[in-house]
Amino acid sequence: MPVARPLTLKQRHGQFLGSIAVAFAVVLLWQIVSGLLFVVPAPARTVAVLASNLTDPDYLVDARETALAVATAFVIGTLLGGLVGLVLGLVKPVRLATEPLIVALNGVPKIVLYPILLPIFQLGGSKIVMGVLFCLFPVLINVAAGVRHIPDVYWKLARSVQASWLQTLVHIILPAIRRPLLTGLRLAVSLAVVGVVLSEFFATRYGLGRVVLQTYGHGDYPEMVATILLLIVVSFTISMLLWRWEKKVQ
Amino acid sequence: MSEINLENVEVAFDTPAGTVVAVSGVTQRVPAQGFVSLVGPSGCGKSTLLSVIAGLTKATGGQVQVGGKVVNGPDRGIGVVFQEDSTLPWRTVLDNVRFALQVAGVDKEGQLERARWAIELVGLKGFADAYPSMLSGGMRQRVALARTLALEPGVVLMDEPFAALDQQTRIFLGAEVRSIWQRSAQTVLFVTHDISEAILLSEQVWVMSYRPGQIIDVIDVDLPAERDPSIVSSHAFNELHNRIWTSLQEESMRGFRQQEGAA
Ligand SMILES: Nc1ncnc2c1ncn2[C@@H]1O[C@H](COP(=O)(O)OP(=O)(O)O)[C@@H](O)[C@H]1O
Ligand SMILES: [Mg+2]
Repeated sequence: MPVARPLTLKQRHGQFLGSIAVAFAVVLLWQIVSGLLFVVPAPARTVAVLASNLTDPDYLVDARETALAVATAFVIGTLLGGLVGLVLGLVKPVRLATEPLIVALNGVPKIVLYPILLPIFQLGGSKIVMGVLFCLFPVLINVAAGVRHIPDVYWKLARSVQASWLQTLVHIILPAIRRPLLTGLRLAVSLAVVGVVLSEFFATRYGLGRVVLQTYGHGDYPEMVATILLLIVVSFTISMLLWRWEKKVQ
Repeated sequence: MSEINLENVEVAFDTPAGTVVAVSGVTQRVPAQGFVSLVGPSGCGKSTLLSVIAGLTKATGGQVQVGGKVVNGPDRGIGVVFQEDSTLPWRTVLDNVRFALQVAGVDKEGQLERARWAIELVGLKGFADAYPSMLSGGMRQRVALARTLALEPGVVLMDEPFAALDQQTRIFLGAEVRSIWQRSAQTVLFVTHDISEAILLSEQVWVMSYRPGQIIDVIDVDLPAERDPSIVSSHAFNELHNRIWTSLQEESMRGFRQQEGAA
Protein backbone atom coordinates (compact mmCIF):
# COMPACT_ATOMS: atom_id res chain seq x y z
CA MET A 1 0.00 0.00 0.00
CA PRO A 2 1.47 3.36 -0.90
CA VAL A 3 2.18 5.40 2.19
CA ALA A 4 1.46 9.10 1.76
CA ARG A 5 4.56 10.99 2.66
CA PRO A 6 3.89 13.40 5.51
CA LEU A 7 4.33 17.01 4.49
CA THR A 8 7.34 18.84 5.79
CA LEU A 9 6.80 21.79 8.10
CA LYS A 10 7.60 24.13 5.25
CA GLN A 11 5.08 22.43 2.94
CA ARG A 12 2.41 22.55 5.63
CA HIS A 13 3.17 26.20 6.14
CA GLY A 14 2.75 26.70 2.42
CA GLN A 15 -0.54 24.81 2.42
CA PHE A 16 -1.85 26.98 5.25
CA LEU A 17 -0.78 30.22 3.58
CA GLY A 18 -2.24 28.99 0.29
CA SER A 19 -5.61 28.31 1.91
CA ILE A 20 -5.65 31.77 3.49
CA ALA A 21 -4.79 33.36 0.17
CA VAL A 22 -7.53 31.47 -1.68
CA ALA A 23 -10.11 32.36 1.00
CA PHE A 24 -9.07 35.99 0.82
CA ALA A 25 -9.30 36.01 -2.97
CA VAL A 26 -12.79 34.48 -2.87
CA VAL A 27 -14.07 37.08 -0.40
CA LEU A 28 -12.46 39.87 -2.42
CA LEU A 29 -14.03 38.62 -5.65
CA TRP A 30 -17.38 38.29 -3.89
CA GLN A 31 -17.06 41.88 -2.63
CA ILE A 32 -16.32 43.15 -6.16
CA VAL A 33 -19.14 41.15 -7.76
CA SER A 34 -21.60 42.32 -5.10
CA GLY A 35 -20.80 45.92 -6.12
CA LEU A 36 -21.57 45.12 -9.75
CA LEU A 37 -24.61 42.88 -9.44
CA PHE A 38 -27.72 43.84 -7.54
CA VAL A 39 -28.65 40.21 -6.76
CA VAL A 40 -25.41 39.47 -4.91
CA PRO A 41 -25.23 40.93 -1.39
CA ALA A 42 -21.88 42.01 0.06
CA PRO A 43 -20.04 39.48 2.23
CA ALA A 44 -20.40 41.51 5.43
CA ARG A 45 -24.13 41.94 4.93
CA THR A 46 -24.59 38.23 4.18
CA VAL A 47 -22.76 37.23 7.35
CA ALA A 48 -24.90 39.64 9.36
CA VAL A 49 -28.10 38.14 7.94
CA LEU A 50 -26.78 34.65 8.65
CA ALA A 51 -26.01 35.57 12.25
CA SER A 52 -29.48 36.95 12.84
CA ASN A 53 -31.04 33.91 11.13
CA LEU A 54 -29.30 31.60 13.52
CA THR A 55 -31.10 33.20 16.44
CA ASP A 56 -34.49 32.97 14.72
CA PRO A 57 -36.46 29.92 16.05
CA ASP A 58 -38.37 29.49 12.77
CA TYR A 59 -35.15 29.40 10.81
CA LEU A 60 -33.66 26.89 13.24
CA VAL A 61 -36.63 24.57 12.63
CA ASP A 62 -35.67 24.49 8.96
CA ALA A 63 -32.01 24.10 9.75
CA ARG A 64 -32.70 21.25 12.17
CA GLU A 65 -34.96 19.53 9.63
CA THR A 66 -32.25 19.60 6.98
CA ALA A 67 -29.47 18.62 9.38
CA LEU A 68 -31.50 15.67 10.64
CA ALA A 69 -32.34 14.53 7.11
CA VAL A 70 -28.70 14.78 6.06
CA ALA A 71 -27.48 12.91 9.15
CA THR A 72 -30.07 10.16 8.69
CA ALA A 73 -29.28 9.84 4.99
CA PHE A 74 -25.56 9.74 5.75
CA VAL A 75 -25.87 7.02 8.38
CA ILE A 76 -28.20 4.84 6.30
CA GLY A 77 -26.29 5.43 3.07
CA THR A 78 -22.93 4.71 4.70
CA LEU A 79 -24.10 1.53 6.41
CA LEU A 80 -25.84 0.29 3.30
CA GLY A 81 -22.96 1.25 1.01
CA GLY A 82 -20.43 -0.22 3.41
CA LEU A 83 -22.31 -3.49 3.66
CA VAL A 84 -22.88 -3.89 -0.08
CA GLY A 85 -19.29 -2.79 -0.75
CA LEU A 86 -18.03 -5.41 1.69
CA VAL A 87 -20.01 -8.16 -0.01
CA LEU A 88 -18.89 -7.03 -3.47
CA GLY A 89 -15.27 -6.84 -2.35
CA LEU A 90 -15.36 -10.27 -0.75
CA VAL A 91 -17.45 -12.30 -3.17
CA LYS A 92 -16.00 -12.22 -6.64
CA PRO A 93 -18.95 -13.83 -8.47
CA VAL A 94 -21.35 -11.26 -6.99
CA ARG A 95 -18.99 -8.46 -7.96
CA LEU A 96 -18.62 -9.67 -11.52
CA ALA A 97 -22.37 -10.15 -11.86
CA THR A 98 -23.36 -6.73 -10.51
CA GLU A 99 -20.45 -4.46 -11.43
CA PRO A 100 -21.85 -3.17 -14.77
CA LEU A 101 -25.25 -2.56 -13.17
CA ILE A 102 -23.74 -0.58 -10.30
CA VAL A 103 -21.59 1.54 -12.59
CA ALA A 104 -24.64 2.26 -14.72
CA LEU A 105 -26.84 3.04 -11.72
CA ASN A 106 -24.24 5.40 -10.34
CA GLY A 107 -24.32 7.21 -13.67
CA VAL A 108 -28.08 7.77 -13.52
CA PRO A 109 -29.00 11.35 -12.53
CA LYS A 110 -30.65 10.25 -9.30
CA ILE A 111 -32.75 13.36 -8.84
CA VAL A 112 -35.04 12.33 -11.74
CA LEU A 113 -36.31 9.60 -9.44
CA TYR A 114 -37.61 12.15 -6.96
CA PRO A 115 -41.16 12.36 -8.32
CA ILE A 116 -41.37 8.57 -8.06
CA LEU A 117 -40.13 8.60 -4.46
CA LEU A 118 -42.56 11.29 -3.33
CA PRO A 119 -45.77 9.25 -3.32
CA ILE A 120 -43.95 6.34 -1.69
CA PHE A 121 -41.93 8.05 1.04
CA GLN A 122 -43.89 11.31 1.47
CA LEU A 123 -42.29 14.71 1.76
CA GLY A 124 -40.23 13.96 4.87
CA GLY A 125 -38.91 10.58 3.74
CA SER A 126 -38.23 11.19 0.09
CA LYS A 127 -35.40 13.63 0.66
CA ILE A 128 -33.75 11.18 3.03
CA VAL A 129 -34.01 8.44 0.42
CA MET A 130 -32.57 10.86 -2.12
CA GLY A 131 -29.70 11.65 0.26
CA VAL A 132 -29.09 7.92 0.68
CA LEU A 133 -29.04 7.41 -3.09
CA PHE A 134 -26.51 10.19 -3.43
CA CYS A 135 -24.10 9.09 -0.71
CA LEU A 136 -24.42 5.32 -1.12
CA PHE A 137 -22.18 4.91 -4.14
CA PRO A 138 -18.91 6.54 -3.08
CA VAL A 139 -18.89 4.44 0.10
CA LEU A 140 -19.85 1.29 -1.77
CA ILE A 141 -17.27 1.75 -4.51
CA ASN A 142 -14.44 2.71 -2.16
CA VAL A 143 -15.14 -0.09 0.30
CA ALA A 144 -15.41 -2.70 -2.48
CA ALA A 145 -12.12 -1.57 -4.03
CA GLY A 146 -10.46 -1.36 -0.61
CA VAL A 147 -11.49 -4.89 0.35
CA ARG A 148 -10.41 -6.25 -3.00
CA HIS A 149 -6.93 -4.83 -2.53
CA ILE A 150 -6.34 -6.30 0.91
CA PRO A 151 -3.14 -8.32 0.51
CA ASP A 152 -3.69 -12.06 0.31
CA VAL A 153 -1.30 -12.65 3.16
CA TYR A 154 -3.59 -10.84 5.64
CA TRP A 155 -6.35 -13.34 4.93
CA LYS A 156 -3.90 -16.20 5.38
CA LEU A 157 -2.74 -14.65 8.63
CA ALA A 158 -6.30 -14.29 9.92
CA ARG A 159 -7.10 -17.89 9.04
CA SER A 160 -3.87 -19.28 10.49
CA VAL A 161 -4.57 -17.74 13.90
CA GLN A 162 -8.21 -18.89 13.69
CA ALA A 163 -9.66 -15.40 13.78
CA SER A 164 -13.45 -15.38 13.85
CA TRP A 165 -15.43 -13.49 11.25
CA LEU A 166 -15.97 -10.57 13.54
CA GLN A 167 -12.29 -10.50 14.58
CA THR A 168 -11.27 -10.53 10.94
CA LEU A 169 -13.63 -7.64 10.23
CA VAL A 170 -12.51 -5.56 13.20
CA HIS A 171 -8.79 -6.35 13.24
CA ILE A 172 -8.03 -6.85 9.55
CA ILE A 173 -10.68 -5.63 7.11
CA LEU A 174 -11.69 -2.29 8.65
CA PRO A 175 -8.17 -1.10 9.46
CA ALA A 176 -6.88 -2.35 6.10
CA ILE A 177 -9.46 -0.29 4.21
CA ARG A 178 -9.30 2.73 6.53
CA ARG A 179 -8.08 5.12 3.84
CA PRO A 180 -10.56 4.32 1.05
CA LEU A 181 -13.29 4.10 3.69
CA LEU A 182 -12.53 7.60 4.95
CA THR A 183 -12.42 8.89 1.38
CA GLY A 184 -15.84 7.34 0.81
CA LEU A 185 -17.20 8.89 4.01
CA ARG A 186 -15.87 12.32 3.11
CA LEU A 187 -17.55 12.20 -0.30
CA ALA A 188 -20.71 10.79 1.29
CA VAL A 189 -21.11 13.78 3.63
CA SER A 190 -21.11 16.28 0.78
CA LEU A 191 -23.34 14.14 -1.39
CA ALA A 192 -25.87 13.59 1.41
CA VAL A 193 -26.15 17.38 1.66
CA VAL A 194 -26.56 17.64 -2.10
CA GLY A 195 -29.24 14.94 -2.19
CA VAL A 196 -31.28 16.41 0.64
CA VAL A 197 -31.05 20.08 -0.31
CA LEU A 198 -31.71 19.35 -3.96
CA SER A 199 -34.85 17.47 -2.94
CA GLU A 200 -35.90 20.36 -0.76
CA PHE A 201 -35.61 22.66 -3.76
CA PHE A 202 -38.32 20.67 -5.47
CA ALA A 203 -40.85 19.88 -2.83
CA THR A 204 -40.84 19.93 0.93
CA ARG A 205 -42.50 21.62 3.86
CA TYR A 206 -39.45 22.47 5.97
CA GLY A 207 -35.74 22.66 5.30
CA LEU A 208 -33.01 24.99 4.16
CA GLY A 209 -33.54 24.07 0.52
CA ARG A 210 -37.08 25.40 0.80
CA VAL A 211 -35.78 28.56 2.50
CA VAL A 212 -33.41 29.15 -0.39
CA LEU A 213 -36.15 28.69 -2.96
CA GLN A 214 -38.68 30.79 -1.07
CA THR A 215 -36.29 33.69 -0.49
CA TYR A 216 -35.42 33.49 -4.17
CA GLY A 217 -39.12 33.72 -5.02
CA HIS A 218 -39.47 36.80 -2.82
CA GLY A 219 -36.38 38.37 -4.30
CA ASP A 220 -34.80 38.41 -0.83
CA TYR A 221 -31.25 37.83 -2.05
CA PRO A 222 -29.32 38.47 1.18
CA GLU A 223 -31.46 35.84 2.92
CA MET A 224 -30.95 33.44 0.05
CA VAL A 225 -27.20 33.86 -0.15
CA ALA A 226 -26.88 33.66 3.65
CA THR A 227 -28.51 30.23 3.64
CA ILE A 228 -26.39 29.05 0.73
CA LEU A 229 -23.33 30.27 2.59
CA LEU A 230 -24.37 28.29 5.67
CA LEU A 231 -24.74 25.09 3.61
CA ILE A 232 -21.37 25.61 1.98
CA VAL A 233 -19.52 26.44 5.18
CA VAL A 234 -20.91 23.46 7.10
CA SER A 235 -20.22 20.91 4.31
CA PHE A 236 -16.82 22.40 3.72
CA THR A 237 -15.84 22.22 7.38
CA ILE A 238 -16.92 18.58 7.75
CA SER A 239 -15.14 17.57 4.55
CA MET A 240 -12.05 19.41 5.66
CA LEU A 241 -11.96 17.68 9.04
CA LEU A 242 -12.45 14.27 7.45
CA TRP A 243 -9.79 15.05 4.90
CA ARG A 244 -7.29 15.92 7.61
CA TRP A 245 -8.16 12.75 9.49
CA GLU A 246 -7.64 10.79 6.26
CA LYS A 247 -4.16 12.31 5.89
CA LYS A 248 -3.29 11.50 9.47
CA VAL A 249 -4.08 7.78 9.58
CA GLN A 250 -1.01 5.55 9.68
CA MET B 1 5.19 -34.34 21.13
CA SER B 2 4.58 -32.47 17.93
CA GLU B 3 5.95 -34.54 15.14
CA ILE B 4 4.71 -33.96 11.61
CA ASN B 5 3.61 -36.99 9.65
CA LEU B 6 2.90 -36.76 5.96
CA GLU B 7 1.20 -39.75 4.40
CA ASN B 8 0.98 -39.89 0.65
CA VAL B 9 -0.01 -36.21 0.52
CA GLU B 10 -1.30 -35.01 -2.81
CA VAL B 11 -2.53 -31.58 -3.86
CA ALA B 12 -4.03 -30.93 -7.28
CA PHE B 13 -5.41 -27.58 -8.43
CA ASP B 14 -8.07 -27.16 -11.05
CA THR B 15 -6.98 -24.33 -13.31
CA PRO B 16 -8.40 -23.08 -16.61
CA ALA B 17 -5.41 -24.75 -18.26
CA GLY B 18 -6.27 -28.10 -16.66
CA THR B 19 -5.31 -29.89 -13.48
CA VAL B 20 -2.00 -28.93 -11.91
CA VAL B 21 -0.56 -31.49 -9.54
CA ALA B 22 1.46 -29.32 -7.16
CA VAL B 23 2.31 -31.98 -4.59
CA SER B 24 2.35 -35.68 -5.24
CA GLY B 25 2.80 -38.71 -3.02
CA VAL B 26 4.74 -37.05 -0.23
CA THR B 27 5.33 -39.45 2.65
CA GLN B 28 7.77 -37.97 5.15
CA ARG B 29 8.22 -37.32 8.83
CA VAL B 30 9.58 -34.38 10.76
CA PRO B 31 10.54 -35.78 14.16
CA ALA B 32 9.34 -33.98 17.26
CA GLN B 33 11.70 -31.08 18.00
CA GLY B 34 13.35 -31.62 14.64
CA PHE B 35 14.42 -28.96 12.19
CA VAL B 36 13.86 -29.87 8.56
CA SER B 37 14.44 -27.68 5.54
CA LEU B 38 12.58 -28.09 2.30
CA VAL B 39 14.42 -26.99 -0.84
CA GLY B 40 13.27 -27.09 -4.43
CA PRO B 41 13.01 -25.04 -7.62
CA SER B 42 10.49 -22.25 -7.52
CA GLY B 43 6.95 -23.34 -8.37
CA CYS B 44 7.59 -26.96 -7.32
CA GLY B 45 5.00 -26.98 -4.54
CA LYS B 46 6.91 -26.04 -1.38
CA SER B 47 4.44 -23.37 -0.27
CA THR B 48 1.54 -25.64 -1.13
CA LEU B 49 2.91 -28.45 1.04
CA LEU B 50 3.51 -26.02 3.91
CA SER B 51 0.03 -24.61 3.52
CA VAL B 52 -1.45 -28.11 3.76
CA ILE B 53 0.41 -28.78 7.00
CA ALA B 54 -0.81 -25.42 8.31
CA GLY B 55 -4.37 -26.43 7.51
CA LEU B 56 -4.77 -23.51 5.09
CA THR B 57 -5.03 -25.69 1.97
CA LYS B 58 -6.89 -28.99 1.72
CA ALA B 59 -4.95 -31.96 0.44
CA THR B 60 -6.72 -33.75 -2.40
CA GLY B 61 -5.20 -37.01 -1.25
CA GLY B 62 -3.44 -38.59 1.71
CA GLN B 63 -3.30 -37.02 5.12
CA VAL B 64 -1.25 -34.89 7.47
CA GLN B 65 -0.90 -35.53 11.17
CA VAL B 66 0.65 -33.12 13.63
CA GLY B 67 1.31 -34.46 17.10
CA GLY B 68 -0.80 -37.51 16.27
CA LYS B 69 -3.85 -35.44 15.28
CA VAL B 70 -5.11 -35.28 11.71
CA VAL B 71 -4.90 -31.72 10.36
CA ASN B 72 -8.34 -30.57 9.20
CA GLY B 73 -7.90 -26.83 9.36
CA PRO B 74 -5.82 -24.07 10.92
CA ASP B 75 -4.68 -24.60 14.48
CA ARG B 76 -3.02 -22.12 16.83
CA GLY B 77 -0.63 -24.88 17.85
CA ILE B 78 0.82 -24.66 14.34
CA GLY B 79 2.51 -21.32 13.74
CA VAL B 80 3.22 -19.98 10.27
CA VAL B 81 5.67 -17.34 9.11
CA PHE B 82 4.80 -16.22 5.61
CA GLN B 83 7.11 -15.30 2.79
CA GLU B 84 5.32 -12.01 2.14
CA ASP B 85 5.47 -9.12 4.57
CA SER B 86 2.56 -9.90 6.87
CA THR B 87 3.05 -7.15 9.44
CA LEU B 88 -0.03 -4.97 9.86
CA PRO B 89 1.03 -1.38 9.05
CA TRP B 90 -1.60 0.19 11.30
CA ARG B 91 -0.30 -1.59 14.39
CA THR B 92 2.89 -0.94 16.30
CA VAL B 93 5.44 -3.72 16.71
CA LEU B 94 4.00 -4.57 20.12
CA ASP B 95 0.44 -4.62 18.80
CA ASN B 96 1.49 -6.70 15.80
CA VAL B 97 3.16 -9.25 18.03
CA ARG B 98 0.20 -9.52 20.38
CA PHE B 99 -2.26 -9.85 17.48
CA ALA B 100 -2.44 -13.65 17.58
CA LEU B 101 -2.74 -13.63 21.38
CA GLN B 102 -5.52 -11.08 21.17
CA VAL B 103 -7.41 -13.21 18.67
CA ALA B 104 -6.84 -16.25 20.89
CA GLY B 105 -8.59 -14.43 23.74
CA VAL B 106 -5.58 -14.10 26.04
CA ASP B 107 -6.18 -11.36 28.63
CA LYS B 108 -4.52 -8.01 27.99
CA GLU B 109 -1.88 -8.46 30.66
CA GLY B 110 -0.90 -11.85 29.32
CA GLN B 111 -0.83 -10.48 25.77
CA LEU B 112 1.59 -7.73 26.69
CA GLU B 113 3.79 -9.98 28.77
CA ARG B 114 4.17 -12.64 26.12
CA ALA B 115 4.49 -10.12 23.31
CA ARG B 116 7.34 -8.39 25.16
CA TRP B 117 9.01 -11.75 25.72
CA ALA B 118 8.74 -12.61 22.01
CA ILE B 119 9.98 -9.18 20.95
CA GLU B 120 13.04 -9.62 23.10
CA LEU B 121 13.53 -13.14 21.76
CA VAL B 122 13.84 -11.91 18.17
CA GLY B 123 16.06 -8.99 19.19
CA LEU B 124 13.59 -6.16 18.67
CA LYS B 125 13.72 -4.78 22.18
CA GLY B 126 13.45 -1.01 21.99
CA PHE B 127 11.25 -1.10 18.87
CA ALA B 128 7.99 -2.07 20.56
CA ASP B 129 6.34 1.25 19.76
CA ALA B 130 7.65 1.61 16.22
CA TYR B 131 5.37 1.15 13.21
CA PRO B 132 6.37 -1.39 10.53
CA SER B 133 6.81 1.41 7.98
CA MET B 134 9.77 2.67 10.05
CA LEU B 135 11.47 -0.74 10.01
CA SER B 136 13.66 -2.53 7.48
CA GLY B 137 12.41 -5.66 5.71
CA GLY B 138 14.53 -7.82 8.00
CA MET B 139 13.07 -6.25 11.10
CA ARG B 140 9.54 -6.67 9.77
CA GLN B 141 10.18 -10.39 9.27
CA ARG B 142 11.39 -10.51 12.87
CA VAL B 143 8.10 -8.96 13.91
CA ALA B 144 6.24 -11.67 11.99
CA LEU B 145 8.44 -14.31 13.61
CA ALA B 146 7.81 -12.85 17.07
CA ARG B 147 4.07 -12.85 16.43
CA THR B 148 4.23 -16.56 15.60
CA LEU B 149 6.49 -17.42 18.53
CA ALA B 150 4.36 -15.44 20.98
CA LEU B 151 1.68 -18.13 20.72
CA GLU B 152 4.37 -20.70 21.67
CA PRO B 153 3.23 -23.16 19.01
CA GLY B 154 4.54 -26.72 19.07
CA VAL B 155 5.17 -26.55 15.34
CA VAL B 156 6.59 -23.62 13.39
CA LEU B 157 6.30 -23.53 9.60
CA MET B 158 8.40 -20.93 7.80
CA ASP B 159 7.93 -20.21 4.12
CA GLU B 160 11.08 -18.58 2.76
CA PRO B 161 10.86 -16.01 5.53
CA PHE B 162 14.12 -14.33 4.57
CA ALA B 163 13.98 -14.70 0.78
CA ALA B 164 13.52 -10.97 0.21
CA LEU B 165 16.45 -9.99 2.43
CA ASP B 166 20.08 -9.38 1.59
CA GLN B 167 22.61 -12.17 2.14
CA GLN B 168 24.12 -10.72 5.33
CA THR B 169 20.80 -10.20 7.07
CA ARG B 170 19.62 -13.59 5.95
CA ILE B 171 22.62 -15.43 7.43
CA PHE B 172 22.29 -13.48 10.64
CA LEU B 173 18.54 -14.08 11.03
CA GLY B 174 18.96 -17.74 10.07
CA ALA B 175 21.46 -18.21 12.89
CA GLU B 176 19.00 -16.59 15.26
CA VAL B 177 16.16 -18.85 14.14
CA ARG B 178 18.35 -21.85 14.79
CA SER B 179 19.40 -20.61 18.17
CA ILE B 180 15.79 -19.89 19.18
CA TRP B 181 14.87 -23.38 18.02
CA GLN B 182 17.71 -24.93 20.03
CA ARG B 183 16.41 -23.26 23.18
CA SER B 184 12.82 -24.34 22.50
CA ALA B 185 10.96 -27.61 22.17
CA GLN B 186 9.60 -26.67 18.77
CA THR B 187 9.37 -28.69 15.61
CA VAL B 188 10.36 -26.61 12.61
CA LEU B 189 9.80 -27.02 8.89
CA PHE B 190 11.66 -24.34 6.97
CA VAL B 191 11.19 -23.69 3.26
CA THR B 192 14.01 -22.11 1.34
CA HIS B 193 15.55 -22.17 -2.10
CA ASP B 194 18.99 -21.43 -0.66
CA ILE B 195 20.99 -24.64 -0.22
CA SER B 196 23.54 -23.12 2.18
CA GLU B 197 20.77 -21.77 4.35
CA ALA B 198 19.11 -25.19 4.43
CA ILE B 199 22.33 -26.92 5.51
CA LEU B 200 23.31 -24.27 8.04
CA LEU B 201 19.96 -24.33 9.80
CA SER B 202 18.64 -27.83 9.77
CA GLU B 203 19.11 -31.40 10.87
CA GLN B 204 17.66 -32.78 7.67
CA VAL B 205 17.06 -31.44 4.16
CA TRP B 206 14.31 -32.57 1.81
CA VAL B 207 14.76 -31.94 -1.89
CA MET B 208 11.56 -31.45 -3.85
CA SER B 209 11.13 -32.05 -7.58
CA TYR B 210 9.29 -29.92 -10.09
CA ARG B 211 5.86 -31.11 -11.23
CA PRO B 212 4.77 -33.30 -9.80
CA GLY B 213 6.19 -32.03 -6.51
CA GLN B 214 7.71 -35.07 -4.90
CA ILE B 215 10.44 -35.43 -2.30
CA ILE B 216 13.26 -36.93 -4.35
CA ASP B 217 16.07 -36.82 -1.81
CA VAL B 218 16.38 -36.71 1.97
CA ILE B 219 19.75 -35.71 3.38
CA ASP B 220 20.71 -35.85 7.05
CA VAL B 221 22.91 -32.96 8.05
CA ASP B 222 25.62 -34.44 10.26
CA LEU B 223 27.19 -31.19 11.35
CA PRO B 224 27.93 -30.04 14.90
CA ALA B 225 24.96 -28.53 16.75
CA GLU B 226 26.73 -25.18 17.06
CA ARG B 227 27.11 -23.88 13.55
CA ASP B 228 29.42 -21.01 13.03
CA PRO B 229 29.00 -19.48 9.56
CA SER B 230 32.64 -20.39 8.93
CA ILE B 231 31.44 -23.98 8.67
CA VAL B 232 30.58 -23.28 5.03
CA SER B 233 34.25 -23.78 4.14
CA SER B 234 34.42 -27.23 5.77
CA HIS B 235 34.67 -30.41 3.74
CA ALA B 236 31.50 -31.89 5.25
CA PHE B 237 29.49 -28.82 4.35
CA ASN B 238 30.73 -28.90 0.78
CA GLU B 239 29.83 -32.56 0.35
CA LEU B 240 26.31 -31.86 1.51
CA HIS B 241 26.09 -28.81 -0.69
CA ASN B 242 27.27 -30.77 -3.74
CA ARG B 243 24.80 -33.55 -3.19
CA ILE B 244 21.83 -31.19 -2.82
CA TRP B 245 23.06 -29.02 -5.66
CA THR B 246 23.24 -31.98 -8.03
CA SER B 247 19.71 -33.14 -7.18
CA LEU B 248 18.39 -29.64 -7.48
CA GLN B 249 20.14 -28.78 -10.68
CA GLU B 250 18.66 -31.69 -12.55
CA GLU B 251 15.26 -30.69 -11.24
CA SER B 252 15.64 -27.03 -12.05
CA MET B 253 16.70 -27.83 -15.58
CA ARG B 254 13.73 -30.16 -16.00
CA GLY B 255 11.39 -27.55 -14.58
CA PHE B 256 12.86 -24.87 -16.78
CA ARG B 257 12.45 -27.01 -19.88
CA GLN B 258 8.86 -27.85 -18.93
CA GLN B 259 8.03 -24.19 -18.50
CA GLU B 260 9.76 -23.31 -21.77
CA GLY B 261 7.81 -26.05 -23.51
CA ALA B 262 4.55 -24.82 -22.03
CA ALA B 263 5.18 -21.19 -22.94
N1 LIG C 1 -4.44 -21.71 -5.51
C1 LIG C 1 -3.80 -22.22 -6.59
N2 LIG C 1 -4.50 -22.45 -7.72
C2 LIG C 1 -3.88 -22.98 -8.80
N3 LIG C 1 -2.59 -23.29 -8.87
C3 LIG C 1 -1.84 -23.08 -7.78
C4 LIG C 1 -2.40 -22.52 -6.58
N4 LIG C 1 -1.42 -22.42 -5.66
C5 LIG C 1 -0.30 -22.88 -6.25
N5 LIG C 1 -0.54 -23.28 -7.52
C6 LIG C 1 0.43 -23.87 -8.45
O1 LIG C 1 1.06 -24.95 -7.80
C7 LIG C 1 2.44 -24.97 -8.08
C8 LIG C 1 3.25 -24.93 -6.81
O2 LIG C 1 3.15 -23.64 -6.24
P1 LIG C 1 3.89 -23.26 -4.88
O3 LIG C 1 3.56 -24.27 -3.85
O4 LIG C 1 3.58 -21.86 -4.58
O5 LIG C 1 5.43 -23.41 -5.30
P2 LIG C 1 6.75 -22.94 -4.52
O6 LIG C 1 6.36 -22.44 -3.16
O7 LIG C 1 7.60 -24.15 -4.47
O8 LIG C 1 7.38 -21.89 -5.34
C9 LIG C 1 2.71 -23.80 -9.00
O9 LIG C 1 2.75 -24.28 -10.32
C10 LIG C 1 1.53 -22.90 -8.80
O10 LIG C 1 1.24 -22.20 -9.97
MG1 LIG D 1 6.60 -20.48 -2.30
